[in-house]
Amino acid sequence: MKKERIFIWACKVITLLAVSFLFFIFLFIAKESFSFFQKTSLLAFLTGSRWNPIVDPPAFGLMPMICATVYVSLLATVIALPVGIGTAVFLSVSAPRNIQRTLLPFIDLMAGIPSVVYGFVGLMVIVKFFEVRFSWSSGESVLAGGILLAIIILPYIVSTCYESMIKILHHYEQTSRALGVSKWHMTRYLVIPSAKKAILAALILSFSRAMGETMAVMMVIGNSPIFPSLFHKAETIPALIALEMGGAAVGSLHYQSLFAAGFILMIVLFVFNSFFFIIRKHIGEGIKW
Amino acid sequence: MNKFFRSLCASAMVMGLVVAGTQFAAAADGQIFFKGSSTLAPVVSQVAQQFMKKYVTWNKVDASLPDAKIEIFVSGGGSGEGVKAVLDGTSNFGMVSRAVKAKEKETIGDYHEFSLGTDALTIAVHPGNKVCQVKPNLTKDELVKIFSGEYKTWNDLDPSLPKEEIVVVIRDIGGGAHQVFQKKVMGKVDVTPNAIQSPSMGALVTKVMENKNAIGYASFGMVNVNKGKIIPLKVDGVEPTAENILNGTYYVSRPLLVVKKGSMSPMEKAFMDELLSAEGMNIVEQMGFVPAK
Repeated sequence: MKKERIFIWACKVITLLAVSFLFFIFLFIAKESFSFFQKTSLLAFLTGSRWNPIVDPPAFGLMPMICATVYVSLLATVIALPVGIGTAVFLSVSAPRNIQRTLLPFIDLMAGIPSVVYGFVGLMVIVKFFEVRFSWSSGESVLAGGILLAIIILPYIVSTCYESMIKILHHYEQTSRALGVSKWHMTRYLVIPSAKKAILAALILSFSRAMGETMAVMMVIGNSPIFPSLFHKAETIPALIALEMGGAAVGSLHYQSLFAAGFILMIVLFVFNSFFFIIRKHIGEGIKW
Repeated sequence: MNKFFRSLCASAMVMGLVVAGTQFAAAADGQIFFKGSSTLAPVVSQVAQQFMKKYVTWNKVDASLPDAKIEIFVSGGGSGEGVKAVLDGTSNFGMVSRAVKAKEKETIGDYHEFSLGTDALTIAVHPGNKVCQVKPNLTKDELVKIFSGEYKTWNDLDPSLPKEEIVVVIRDIGGGAHQVFQKKVMGKVDVTPNAIQSPSMGALVTKVMENKNAIGYASFGMVNVNKGKIIPLKVDGVEPTAENILNGTYYVSRPLLVVKKGSMSPMEKAFMDELLSAEGMNIVEQMGFVPAK
Protein backbone atom coordinates (compact mmCIF):
# COMPACT_ATOMS: atom_id res chain seq x y z
CA MET A 1 0.00 0.00 0.00
CA LYS A 2 1.64 3.15 -1.18
CA LYS A 3 -0.71 5.52 0.64
CA GLU A 4 -0.15 3.80 3.91
CA ARG A 5 3.58 4.08 3.49
CA ILE A 6 3.25 7.82 2.94
CA PHE A 7 1.18 8.04 6.08
CA ILE A 8 3.75 6.14 8.12
CA TRP A 9 6.51 8.41 6.87
CA ALA A 10 4.50 11.50 7.58
CA CYS A 11 3.98 10.28 11.12
CA LYS A 12 7.67 9.61 11.56
CA VAL A 13 8.65 13.03 10.28
CA ILE A 14 6.17 14.78 12.54
CA THR A 15 7.31 12.80 15.57
CA LEU A 16 10.92 13.60 14.77
CA LEU A 17 10.01 17.26 14.45
CA ALA A 18 8.31 17.28 17.84
CA VAL A 19 11.27 15.58 19.51
CA SER A 20 13.78 17.83 17.79
CA PHE A 21 11.90 20.90 19.00
CA LEU A 22 12.39 19.71 22.56
CA PHE A 23 16.03 18.95 21.84
CA PHE A 24 16.66 22.37 20.31
CA ILE A 25 14.96 24.19 23.17
CA PHE A 26 17.24 22.35 25.57
CA LEU A 27 20.27 23.09 23.40
CA PHE A 28 19.38 26.76 23.08
CA ILE A 29 18.91 27.30 26.81
CA ALA A 30 22.10 25.36 27.56
CA LYS A 31 24.06 27.40 25.04
CA GLU A 32 22.79 30.75 26.33
CA SER A 33 23.52 29.85 29.92
CA PHE A 34 26.92 28.33 29.14
CA SER A 35 28.49 31.76 28.67
CA PHE A 36 27.13 32.72 32.09
CA PHE A 37 28.71 29.74 33.80
CA GLN A 38 32.01 30.61 32.17
CA LYS A 39 32.02 33.95 33.96
CA THR A 40 30.61 32.93 37.34
CA SER A 41 30.92 29.77 39.31
CA LEU A 42 28.07 27.29 39.18
CA LEU A 43 28.40 26.62 42.89
CA ALA A 44 28.00 30.29 43.82
CA PHE A 45 25.00 30.54 41.52
CA LEU A 46 23.32 27.54 43.12
CA THR A 47 24.12 28.24 46.74
CA GLY A 48 24.21 32.04 46.90
CA SER A 49 21.37 33.61 48.81
CA ARG A 50 21.45 37.18 47.50
CA TRP A 51 19.98 38.18 44.14
CA ASN A 52 20.62 41.68 42.87
CA PRO A 53 21.71 41.75 39.23
CA ILE A 54 21.80 45.53 38.77
CA VAL A 55 24.25 46.63 41.45
CA ASP A 56 27.97 46.62 40.93
CA PRO A 57 29.25 43.96 41.49
CA PRO A 58 26.05 42.04 40.79
CA ALA A 59 24.93 39.22 43.06
CA PHE A 60 23.53 36.09 41.47
CA GLY A 61 22.33 33.69 44.15
CA LEU A 62 19.55 31.41 42.98
CA MET A 63 19.14 29.32 46.12
CA PRO A 64 16.08 31.19 47.54
CA MET A 65 14.31 30.89 44.20
CA ILE A 66 15.10 27.19 43.81
CA CYS A 67 13.75 26.54 47.31
CA ALA A 68 10.65 28.63 46.68
CA THR A 69 9.87 26.86 43.40
CA VAL A 70 10.13 23.43 44.98
CA TYR A 71 8.32 24.53 48.13
CA VAL A 72 5.31 26.04 46.34
CA SER A 73 5.01 23.12 43.93
CA LEU A 74 5.24 20.50 46.67
CA LEU A 75 2.72 22.39 48.79
CA ALA A 76 0.32 22.60 45.87
CA THR A 77 0.66 18.88 45.13
CA VAL A 78 0.17 17.98 48.78
CA ILE A 79 -3.04 20.03 48.89
CA ALA A 80 -4.34 18.92 45.50
CA LEU A 81 -3.54 15.20 45.60
CA PRO A 82 -6.03 14.07 48.28
CA VAL A 83 -8.75 16.31 46.88
CA GLY A 84 -8.05 15.13 43.35
CA ILE A 85 -8.03 11.43 44.24
CA GLY A 86 -11.20 11.90 46.26
CA THR A 87 -12.92 13.59 43.34
CA ALA A 88 -11.79 10.85 40.98
CA VAL A 89 -13.11 8.14 43.34
CA PHE A 90 -16.43 9.94 43.70
CA LEU A 91 -16.80 10.41 39.96
CA SER A 92 -15.86 6.85 39.02
CA VAL A 93 -17.37 4.86 41.89
CA SER A 94 -20.27 6.67 43.43
CA ALA A 95 -21.61 9.33 41.06
CA PRO A 96 -24.49 8.33 38.77
CA ARG A 97 -23.80 8.35 35.03
CA ASN A 98 -25.50 11.65 34.33
CA ILE A 99 -23.61 13.48 37.06
CA GLN A 100 -20.36 12.02 35.75
CA ARG A 101 -21.23 13.25 32.31
CA THR A 102 -21.96 16.79 33.48
CA LEU A 103 -19.11 17.17 35.96
CA LEU A 104 -16.25 15.75 33.90
CA PRO A 105 -16.34 18.35 31.11
CA PHE A 106 -16.37 21.06 33.77
CA ILE A 107 -13.29 19.66 35.42
CA ASP A 108 -11.56 19.38 32.05
CA LEU A 109 -12.59 22.95 31.35
CA MET A 110 -10.76 24.06 34.49
CA ALA A 111 -7.52 23.06 32.81
CA GLY A 112 -8.30 25.43 29.98
CA ILE A 113 -8.82 28.60 32.03
CA PRO A 114 -5.92 31.00 31.39
CA SER A 115 -3.61 31.24 34.37
CA VAL A 116 -3.82 35.07 34.47
CA VAL A 117 -7.49 34.62 35.31
CA TYR A 118 -6.57 32.27 38.13
CA GLY A 119 -3.94 34.75 39.23
CA PHE A 120 -6.43 37.57 39.28
CA VAL A 121 -8.89 35.56 41.34
CA GLY A 122 -6.04 34.55 43.66
CA LEU A 123 -5.00 38.17 44.14
CA MET A 124 -8.52 39.39 44.82
CA VAL A 125 -9.76 36.43 46.87
CA ILE A 126 -6.94 34.44 48.49
CA VAL A 127 -4.48 37.28 49.12
CA LYS A 128 -7.27 39.61 50.20
CA PHE A 129 -8.69 36.92 52.50
CA PHE A 130 -5.38 36.60 54.37
CA GLU A 131 -5.14 40.36 54.72
CA VAL A 132 -8.69 40.90 55.95
CA ARG A 133 -9.35 37.72 57.93
CA PHE A 134 -5.96 37.24 59.56
CA SER A 135 -4.88 40.90 59.31
CA TRP A 136 -1.54 39.97 57.79
CA SER A 137 0.32 43.04 56.64
CA SER A 138 0.44 41.54 53.17
CA GLY A 139 -1.35 38.42 51.95
CA GLU A 140 1.20 37.55 49.30
CA SER A 141 2.72 34.32 50.56
CA VAL A 142 3.91 30.83 49.72
CA LEU A 143 0.61 29.56 51.15
CA ALA A 144 -1.45 31.75 48.79
CA GLY A 145 0.63 30.50 45.87
CA GLY A 146 0.27 26.89 47.01
CA ILE A 147 -3.51 27.07 47.32
CA LEU A 148 -3.88 28.74 43.94
CA LEU A 149 -1.55 26.26 42.26
CA ALA A 150 -3.46 23.39 43.87
CA ILE A 151 -6.63 24.59 42.14
CA ILE A 152 -4.78 24.92 38.83
CA ILE A 153 -3.34 21.39 38.90
CA LEU A 154 -6.48 19.72 40.26
CA PRO A 155 -8.02 18.87 36.84
CA TYR A 156 -4.81 17.09 35.76
CA ILE A 157 -4.95 14.86 38.82
CA VAL A 158 -8.68 14.18 38.55
CA SER A 159 -8.73 13.26 34.88
CA THR A 160 -5.63 11.03 35.06
CA CYS A 161 -6.93 9.14 38.11
CA TYR A 162 -10.51 8.98 36.88
CA GLU A 163 -9.59 7.37 33.57
CA SER A 164 -7.63 4.63 35.25
CA MET A 165 -10.18 4.06 38.02
CA ILE A 166 -13.07 3.68 35.64
CA LYS A 167 -11.11 1.01 33.76
CA ILE A 168 -10.33 -0.86 36.97
CA LEU A 169 -13.95 -0.61 38.00
CA HIS A 170 -15.21 -2.10 34.76
CA HIS A 171 -12.77 -4.92 35.19
CA TYR A 172 -13.74 -5.89 38.73
CA GLU A 173 -17.26 -4.66 39.27
CA GLN A 174 -19.15 -7.79 38.23
CA THR A 175 -16.86 -10.17 40.05
CA SER A 176 -17.01 -8.11 43.20
CA ARG A 177 -20.76 -7.90 43.11
CA ALA A 178 -21.07 -11.62 42.52
CA LEU A 179 -18.93 -12.19 45.60
CA GLY A 180 -21.12 -9.87 47.61
CA VAL A 181 -18.33 -7.35 48.30
CA SER A 182 -19.67 -3.91 49.17
CA LYS A 183 -18.88 -1.00 46.90
CA TRP A 184 -16.71 0.89 49.38
CA HIS A 185 -14.80 -2.23 50.41
CA MET A 186 -14.02 -2.76 46.74
CA THR A 187 -12.95 0.87 46.38
CA ARG A 188 -10.71 0.69 49.42
CA TYR A 189 -9.00 -2.62 48.69
CA LEU A 190 -9.20 -2.87 44.89
CA VAL A 191 -9.73 0.38 43.06
CA ILE A 192 -7.36 2.69 44.93
CA PRO A 193 -4.46 0.22 45.26
CA SER A 194 -4.75 -0.69 41.57
CA ALA A 195 -4.72 2.96 40.61
CA LYS A 196 -1.36 3.53 42.37
CA LYS A 197 0.47 3.93 39.10
CA ALA A 198 -2.06 6.35 37.72
CA ILE A 199 -1.84 8.38 40.93
CA LEU A 200 1.93 8.61 40.59
CA ALA A 201 1.56 9.58 36.94
CA ALA A 202 -0.85 12.31 38.03
CA LEU A 203 1.67 13.40 40.64
CA ILE A 204 4.43 13.74 38.04
CA LEU A 205 2.22 15.60 35.60
CA SER A 206 0.81 18.02 38.14
CA PHE A 207 4.14 18.65 39.86
CA SER A 208 5.79 19.56 36.57
CA ARG A 209 2.86 21.79 35.72
CA ALA A 210 3.11 23.48 39.10
CA MET A 211 6.83 24.12 38.80
CA GLY A 212 6.49 25.75 35.42
CA GLU A 213 3.48 27.91 36.22
CA THR A 214 4.48 31.54 35.92
CA MET A 215 1.76 34.15 35.73
CA ALA A 216 -0.65 32.98 38.43
CA VAL A 217 2.15 32.41 40.94
CA MET A 218 3.83 35.68 40.09
CA MET A 219 0.64 37.55 40.92
CA VAL A 220 0.12 36.13 44.40
CA ILE A 221 3.54 35.32 45.79
CA GLY A 222 5.04 38.79 46.14
CA ASN A 223 8.25 38.11 44.20
CA SER A 224 10.70 38.86 46.97
CA PRO A 225 14.03 37.10 46.45
CA ILE A 226 14.25 35.76 50.00
CA PHE A 227 14.17 32.26 51.46
CA PRO A 228 10.60 30.98 51.45
CA SER A 229 8.53 30.32 54.53
CA LEU A 230 4.88 29.34 54.53
CA PHE A 231 3.37 32.67 55.56
CA HIS A 232 5.84 34.97 53.87
CA LYS A 233 6.67 36.21 50.42
CA ALA A 234 8.94 34.35 48.03
CA GLU A 235 9.88 34.29 44.37
CA THR A 236 9.85 31.28 42.03
CA ILE A 237 12.27 30.79 39.13
CA PRO A 238 9.62 31.22 36.39
CA ALA A 239 8.43 34.42 38.08
CA LEU A 240 12.00 35.68 38.30
CA ILE A 241 12.58 35.08 34.59
CA ALA A 242 9.26 36.62 33.51
CA LEU A 243 9.73 39.63 35.74
CA GLU A 244 13.27 40.50 34.82
CA MET A 245 13.54 39.44 31.19
CA GLY A 246 11.87 42.68 30.05
CA GLY A 247 14.46 44.84 31.74
CA ALA A 248 17.63 42.89 31.02
CA ALA A 249 19.76 44.18 28.16
CA VAL A 250 20.40 41.56 25.46
CA GLY A 251 23.70 39.78 25.93
CA SER A 252 24.38 41.29 29.35
CA LEU A 253 25.36 39.14 32.29
CA HIS A 254 21.89 39.72 33.76
CA TYR A 255 20.27 38.41 30.57
CA GLN A 256 22.47 35.33 30.56
CA SER A 257 21.81 34.73 34.25
CA LEU A 258 18.08 34.45 33.50
CA PHE A 259 18.76 31.80 30.88
CA ALA A 260 20.95 30.04 33.40
CA ALA A 261 18.06 30.19 35.89
CA GLY A 262 15.83 28.58 33.25
CA PHE A 263 18.44 25.90 32.72
CA ILE A 264 18.56 25.16 36.45
CA LEU A 265 14.76 24.99 36.52
CA MET A 266 14.86 22.33 33.81
CA ILE A 267 17.48 20.37 35.72
CA VAL A 268 15.51 20.55 38.99
CA LEU A 269 12.39 19.40 37.15
CA PHE A 270 14.34 16.57 35.56
CA VAL A 271 15.73 15.45 38.94
CA PHE A 272 12.29 15.39 40.54
CA ASN A 273 10.69 13.63 37.61
CA SER A 274 13.35 10.93 37.57
CA PHE A 275 12.86 10.49 41.30
CA PHE A 276 9.11 10.00 40.88
CA PHE A 277 9.75 7.76 37.88
CA ILE A 278 12.00 5.47 39.90
CA ILE A 279 9.39 5.22 42.67
CA ARG A 280 6.78 4.41 40.06
CA LYS A 281 8.92 1.64 38.67
CA HIS A 282 9.48 0.14 42.09
CA ILE A 283 5.91 0.05 43.32
CA GLY A 284 5.03 -2.26 40.42
CA GLU A 285 1.60 -2.72 39.00
CA GLY A 286 -0.26 -3.04 42.28
CA ILE A 287 -2.90 -5.66 41.63
CA LYS A 288 -2.65 -7.08 38.13
CA TRP A 289 -5.55 -6.38 35.85
CA MET B 1 -8.19 7.42 1.34
CA ASN B 2 -9.01 8.58 4.80
CA LYS B 3 -5.52 7.88 6.10
CA PHE B 4 -3.97 9.52 3.10
CA PHE B 5 -6.13 12.57 3.60
CA ARG B 6 -5.16 12.74 7.23
CA SER B 7 -1.46 12.53 6.50
CA LEU B 8 -1.87 15.23 3.88
CA CYS B 9 -3.61 17.46 6.41
CA ALA B 10 -0.87 16.86 8.94
CA SER B 11 1.92 17.70 6.52
CA ALA B 12 0.04 20.80 5.38
CA MET B 13 -0.18 21.91 8.99
CA VAL B 14 3.53 21.40 9.52
CA MET B 15 4.28 23.33 6.34
CA GLY B 16 1.98 26.09 7.57
CA LEU B 17 3.91 26.28 10.82
CA VAL B 18 7.22 26.54 9.04
CA VAL B 19 5.95 29.27 6.73
CA ALA B 20 4.39 31.15 9.62
CA GLY B 21 7.69 30.90 11.48
CA THR B 22 9.74 32.43 8.70
CA GLN B 23 7.31 35.29 8.16
CA PHE B 24 7.26 36.23 11.81
CA ALA B 25 8.13 39.83 12.57
CA ALA B 26 8.40 40.89 8.94
CA ALA B 27 6.20 43.98 8.98
CA ALA B 28 3.85 43.95 6.03
CA ASP B 29 2.69 47.05 4.17
CA GLY B 30 0.92 49.60 6.30
CA GLN B 31 1.88 48.08 9.64
CA ILE B 32 3.76 49.83 12.41
CA PHE B 33 4.88 48.14 15.60
CA PHE B 34 5.46 49.78 18.97
CA LYS B 35 6.93 47.87 21.87
CA GLY B 36 8.23 48.70 25.33
CA SER B 37 7.25 50.56 28.48
CA SER B 38 3.97 49.47 30.01
CA THR B 39 3.49 53.04 31.28
CA LEU B 40 3.60 54.52 27.81
CA ALA B 41 1.76 51.75 25.95
CA PRO B 42 -1.79 52.95 26.78
CA VAL B 43 -0.98 56.46 25.52
CA VAL B 44 0.43 55.34 22.17
CA SER B 45 -2.32 52.77 21.85
CA GLN B 46 -5.04 55.37 22.28
CA VAL B 47 -3.48 57.78 19.78
CA ALA B 48 -3.14 54.88 17.34
CA GLN B 49 -6.80 53.90 17.75
CA GLN B 50 -7.97 57.41 16.99
CA PHE B 51 -5.56 57.65 14.07
CA MET B 52 -6.82 54.40 12.55
CA LYS B 53 -10.43 55.44 13.05
CA LYS B 54 -9.86 58.86 11.51
CA TYR B 55 -8.01 57.80 8.37
CA VAL B 56 -8.54 54.02 7.87
CA THR B 57 -6.06 53.83 4.94
CA TRP B 58 -2.67 55.50 4.57
CA ASN B 59 -3.50 57.35 1.33
CA LYS B 60 -6.15 59.30 3.21
CA VAL B 61 -3.48 60.65 5.54
CA ASP B 62 -1.44 61.80 2.59
CA ALA B 63 -2.14 61.12 -1.09
CA SER B 64 1.48 60.16 -1.72
CA LEU B 65 1.25 57.22 0.71
CA PRO B 66 0.15 53.76 -0.49
CA ASP B 67 -3.44 52.59 -0.44
CA ALA B 68 -2.94 50.21 2.47
CA LYS B 69 -4.93 49.75 5.64
CA ILE B 70 -3.40 51.47 8.67
CA GLU B 71 -2.41 48.91 11.27
CA ILE B 72 -0.54 50.03 14.35
CA PHE B 73 0.29 47.46 16.99
CA VAL B 74 1.27 48.47 20.51
CA SER B 75 2.55 46.03 23.09
CA GLY B 76 4.13 46.36 26.51
CA GLY B 77 6.99 44.42 28.04
CA GLY B 78 9.06 47.08 29.75
CA SER B 79 11.46 49.85 28.79
CA GLY B 80 14.35 47.43 28.32
CA GLU B 81 12.19 45.43 25.95
CA GLY B 82 11.56 48.63 23.95
CA VAL B 83 15.26 49.22 23.41
CA LYS B 84 15.75 45.53 22.62
CA ALA B 85 12.96 45.51 20.02
CA VAL B 86 14.41 48.50 18.18
CA LEU B 87 17.85 46.95 18.31
CA ASP B 88 16.88 43.62 16.78
CA GLY B 89 14.33 45.16 14.42
CA THR B 90 11.25 43.29 15.66
CA SER B 91 9.54 46.64 16.15
CA ASN B 92 9.57 49.97 14.31
CA PHE B 93 9.56 52.05 17.46
CA GLY B 94 10.45 51.41 21.08
CA MET B 95 8.76 53.05 24.04
CA VAL B 96 11.07 53.88 26.94
CA SER B 97 10.06 55.52 30.20
CA ARG B 98 13.51 56.31 31.55
CA ALA B 99 16.57 58.06 30.16
CA VAL B 100 18.20 55.90 27.49
CA LYS B 101 21.69 54.92 28.61
CA ALA B 102 24.70 56.04 26.61
CA LYS B 103 25.68 52.43 26.07
CA GLU B 104 22.26 51.59 24.64
CA LYS B 105 22.44 54.57 22.26
CA GLU B 106 25.84 53.37 21.16
CA THR B 107 24.66 49.82 20.36
CA ILE B 108 21.63 51.09 18.44
CA GLY B 109 23.87 53.31 16.35
CA ASP B 110 21.65 55.56 14.23
CA TYR B 111 19.60 56.61 17.25
CA HIS B 112 16.66 59.01 17.32
CA GLU B 113 14.38 59.85 20.20
CA PHE B 114 11.11 61.74 20.55
CA SER B 115 9.91 63.05 23.87
CA LEU B 116 6.20 62.67 24.56
CA GLY B 117 6.24 64.07 28.04
CA THR B 118 7.32 63.52 31.61
CA ASP B 119 6.07 61.16 34.28
CA ALA B 120 6.85 61.31 37.94
CA LEU B 121 7.07 58.49 40.44
CA THR B 122 4.94 59.62 43.33
CA ILE B 123 5.35 58.08 46.75
CA ALA B 124 1.84 56.76 47.17
CA VAL B 125 -0.07 55.20 50.07
CA HIS B 126 -3.58 53.93 50.81
CA PRO B 127 -6.08 56.68 51.79
CA GLY B 128 -6.74 54.84 55.07
CA ASN B 129 -3.11 55.10 56.09
CA LYS B 130 -2.71 57.66 58.90
CA VAL B 131 0.62 58.79 57.52
CA CYS B 132 -1.39 61.02 55.13
CA GLN B 133 -2.42 63.15 58.10
CA VAL B 134 0.50 62.68 60.47
CA LYS B 135 3.37 62.97 58.06
CA PRO B 136 2.27 64.03 54.56
CA ASN B 137 5.83 65.06 53.78
CA LEU B 138 8.74 62.62 53.70
CA THR B 139 12.37 63.50 53.35
CA LYS B 140 14.68 61.62 51.03
CA ASP B 141 16.43 60.13 54.03
CA GLU B 142 13.14 58.76 55.40
CA LEU B 143 12.30 57.32 51.99
CA VAL B 144 15.62 55.53 51.82
CA LYS B 145 15.03 54.10 55.30
CA ILE B 146 11.52 52.92 54.38
CA PHE B 147 12.48 51.32 51.07
CA SER B 148 15.69 49.76 52.37
CA GLY B 149 13.80 48.08 55.19
CA GLU B 150 15.50 49.99 57.98
CA TYR B 151 12.09 51.19 59.13
CA LYS B 152 10.19 47.95 59.60
CA THR B 153 6.90 49.19 61.04
CA TRP B 154 5.01 52.42 60.50
CA ASN B 155 5.66 53.57 64.05
CA ASP B 156 9.41 53.48 63.37
CA LEU B 157 8.68 56.41 61.06
CA ASP B 158 6.53 58.27 63.54
CA PRO B 159 5.59 57.10 67.06
CA SER B 160 1.94 58.09 66.62
CA LEU B 161 1.50 55.65 63.73
CA PRO B 162 0.35 52.05 64.38
CA LYS B 163 2.88 49.30 64.96
CA GLU B 164 2.15 47.54 61.69
CA GLU B 165 4.60 46.28 59.11
CA ILE B 166 5.40 48.61 56.22
CA VAL B 167 4.59 46.76 52.99
CA VAL B 168 7.02 48.06 50.38
CA VAL B 169 5.80 47.63 46.81
CA ILE B 170 8.22 48.12 43.91
CA ARG B 171 8.45 47.28 40.20
CA ASP B 172 10.89 44.57 39.09
CA ILE B 173 14.38 45.74 40.00
CA GLY B 174 15.68 45.47 36.44
CA GLY B 175 12.86 47.61 35.03
CA GLY B 176 12.78 51.26 33.92
CA ALA B 177 10.76 52.62 36.83
CA HIS B 178 12.98 51.03 39.43
CA GLN B 179 16.15 52.29 37.77
CA VAL B 180 14.76 55.82 37.97
CA PHE B 181 13.85 55.37 41.63
CA GLN B 182 17.18 53.77 42.47
CA LYS B 183 19.10 56.60 40.85
CA LYS B 184 17.05 59.52 42.13
CA VAL B 185 16.23 58.34 45.65
CA MET B 186 18.08 55.25 46.84
CA GLY B 187 21.49 56.03 45.43
CA LYS B 188 23.85 53.26 46.55
CA VAL B 189 21.47 51.67 49.04
CA ASP B 190 19.73 48.41 48.09
CA VAL B 191 15.97 48.09 48.30
CA THR B 192 14.87 45.53 50.91
CA PRO B 193 14.58 42.00 49.50
CA ASN B 194 11.29 41.79 51.40
CA ALA B 195 9.62 44.18 48.96
CA ILE B 196 6.81 42.95 46.73
CA GLN B 197 7.86 43.13 43.08
CA SER B 198 4.90 43.95 40.84
CA PRO B 199 4.91 42.81 37.22
CA SER B 200 3.32 46.07 35.99
CA MET B 201 2.58 49.63 37.11
CA GLY B 202 -1.11 48.71 37.19
CA ALA B 203 -0.45 45.85 39.60
CA LEU B 204 1.62 48.12 41.84
CA VAL B 205 -1.16 50.72 42.06
CA THR B 206 -3.78 48.01 42.70
CA LYS B 207 -1.67 46.66 45.56
CA VAL B 208 -1.37 50.10 47.15
CA MET B 209 -5.11 50.68 46.70
CA GLU B 210 -5.91 47.33 48.33
CA ASN B 211 -3.49 47.31 51.24
CA LYS B 212 -3.53 50.01 53.88
CA ASN B 213 0.04 49.32 55.00
CA ALA B 214 1.49 49.50 51.52
CA ILE B 215 3.79 52.17 50.13
CA GLY B 216 5.04 52.28 46.58
CA TYR B 217 6.24 54.56 43.80
CA ALA B 218 3.15 54.94 41.64
CA SER B 219 3.28 56.65 38.29
CA PHE B 220 1.94 60.23 38.35
CA GLY B 221 -0.44 59.30 35.54
CA MET B 222 -1.88 56.40 37.51
CA VAL B 223 -2.38 58.56 40.60
CA ASN B 224 -4.33 61.13 38.58
CA VAL B 225 -6.55 58.48 37.04
CA ASN B 226 -7.27 56.96 40.48
CA LYS B 227 -7.73 60.19 42.45
CA GLY B 228 -8.91 59.59 46.02
CA LYS B 229 -8.16 55.86 45.98
CA ILE B 230 -4.42 56.42 46.33
CA ILE B 231 -2.70 59.34 48.03
CA PRO B 232 0.63 60.79 46.86
CA LEU B 233 2.96 62.17 49.55
CA LYS B 234 5.27 65.17 49.29
CA VAL B 235 8.97 64.53 48.89
CA ASP B 236 11.29 66.99 50.62
CA GLY B 237 8.35 69.36 50.94
CA VAL B 238 7.53 69.37 47.23
CA GLU B 239 4.14 68.20 46.06
CA PRO B 240 4.02 66.16 42.82
CA THR B 241 2.10 68.54 40.56
CA ALA B 242 2.46 69.09 36.81
CA GLU B 243 4.19 72.40 37.46
CA ASN B 244 6.68 71.05 39.99
CA ILE B 245 7.48 68.06 37.78
CA LEU B 246 8.08 70.25 34.74
CA ASN B 247 10.36 72.71 36.52
CA GLY B 248 12.23 69.89 38.19
CA THR B 249 11.60 70.72 41.84
CA TYR B 250 9.82 67.38 42.19
CA TYR B 251 12.84 65.35 41.25
CA VAL B 252 11.62 61.72 41.19
CA SER B 253 10.62 62.03 37.54
CA ARG B 254 11.39 60.33 34.28
CA PRO B 255 11.08 61.14 30.58
CA LEU B 256 8.57 59.34 28.34
CA LEU B 257 10.38 58.59 25.11
CA VAL B 258 9.76 56.93 21.78
CA VAL B 259 13.00 55.68 20.26
CA LYS B 260 13.80 54.77 16.69
CA LYS B 261 16.72 53.23 14.87
CA GLY B 262 17.56 54.83 11.52
CA SER B 263 15.41 57.25 9.54
CA MET B 264 11.62 57.07 9.42
CA SER B 265 9.58 55.87 6.47
CA PRO B 266 6.90 58.32 5.25
CA MET B 267 4.23 56.28 7.01
CA GLU B 268 6.14 56.17 10.28
CA LYS B 269 6.67 59.90 10.04
CA ALA B 270 2.97 60.53 9.42
CA PHE B 271 2.03 58.71 12.61
CA MET B 272 4.84 60.28 14.61
CA ASP B 273 3.59 63.72 13.59
CA GLU B 274 0.16 62.76 14.87
CA LEU B 275 1.62 61.52 18.14
CA LEU B 276 3.44 64.82 18.68
CA SER B 277 0.52 66.96 17.52
CA ALA B 278 -1.70 68.94 19.89
CA GLU B 279 -4.18 66.08 19.83
CA GLY B 280 -1.56 63.52 20.76
CA MET B 281 -0.31 65.74 23.56
CA ASN B 282 -3.88 66.07 24.73
CA ILE B 283 -4.07 62.30 25.17
CA VAL B 284 -0.76 62.31 27.05
CA GLU B 285 -2.34 64.81 29.41
CA GLN B 286 -5.62 62.88 29.67
CA MET B 287 -3.66 59.81 30.74
CA GLY B 288 -2.35 61.88 33.63
CA PHE B 289 1.16 62.65 32.41
CA VAL B 290 2.80 66.00 31.81
CA PRO B 291 2.91 66.54 28.01
CA ALA B 292 6.10 67.67 26.28
CA LYS B 293 4.47 70.64 24.56
